[in-house]
Amino acid sequence: MTDNWPTADLDHVRRLRVLAAGIPGATVTERVFDAAPNHVWDLMWGNGTTFTEFQTDMSQVERLERDQDRVRMTVRSRYGMRAQLEGVVSPGWCWLQSRFLLVGMAAAEEPGGGTRVALTGGVRVPGKAALVPIGVRRESNKSLDRLAEKL
Amino acid sequence: MIEDPERLVRAAQGGDTLAMNDLLDQLTPYVGRICGPIALSNGPDATQEALVAVFSSLRTLKEPAALFGWVRAIAVREAIRVARQEVRQVAADLAELPARGDPQLAVDIRDTLARLSPEHRALLVLRDVEGLDERAAAAVLELPAGTAKSRLHRARASFRKAWGS
Repeated sequence: MTDNWPTADLDHVRRLRVLAAGIPGATVTERVFDAAPNHVWDLMWGNGTTFTEFQTDMSQVERLERDQDRVRMTVRSRYGMRAQLEGVVSPGWCWLQSRFLLVGMAAAEEPGGGTRVALTGGVRVPGKAALVPIGVRRESNKSLDRLAEKL
Repeated sequence: MIEDPERLVRAAQGGDTLAMNDLLDQLTPYVGRICGPIALSNGPDATQEALVAVFSSLRTLKEPAALFGWVRAIAVREAIRVARQEVRQVAADLAELPARGDPQLAVDIRDTLARLSPEHRALLVLRDVEGLDERAAAAVLELPAGTAKSRLHRARASFRKAWGS
């Protein structure tokens, strides 16, 4: 009887809001860009090649292994420290964690046109689902400013 | 491979944010099936609000085995709350609805549901999507069993009137 009943889904930006709500200290920074989602995502992730250009506190991807949507990567920060990130990446979605870092990125088509981008993440309370709430929004805004320049 | 949701809950409660991601993958379609028919055009908002409530209080879930019942109660509550905010509440006059067999079946069902109150839609979802008995559905909605029974009767009568079954 209920096969044709309406169902609801979450786009990637809503997914990011949900996960951030479960992480004390996390904030979500959003902005809408006048460009198609696949173009925006290419500049945010680009098979890992544009990731460090978009994420302003990263300088280099030293290793990247993929198994379907599962990713393991070693990145170097602009301060010289290495992080072993693991997580999930698919078009419009990136969720990566290391013991000390969390990176969340989402892009979804905006009703009425354009692409909404949402970012969260920062320095983890080691091993916990909690972030040190310092400078997170500032870094996210820098990343979004950089993306705006590239678009 | 689909992971055991109870294990994911424990891992998420222990601070593993990847487990949270994987748990969200499993819960989203379940919550969407509850919120969609109750909140209708506001289904994505209701689904988001329900899952925000789930993940922001996941630490309080003492029995991971009770996950889906706990999530169900939150989803129904949030879907009704979001649906009530919708100003466009139409009285339950179903006389002019299209008959069963119309090619726009899914659209028609949405239209039929839209003419019921959020509370009536919630009862239909709990009984017909979730398969709960009347007593369990009443408990989720925190209603006296008699009230739930009479509301369900009215909701079913509305559907029968609409679909001629």
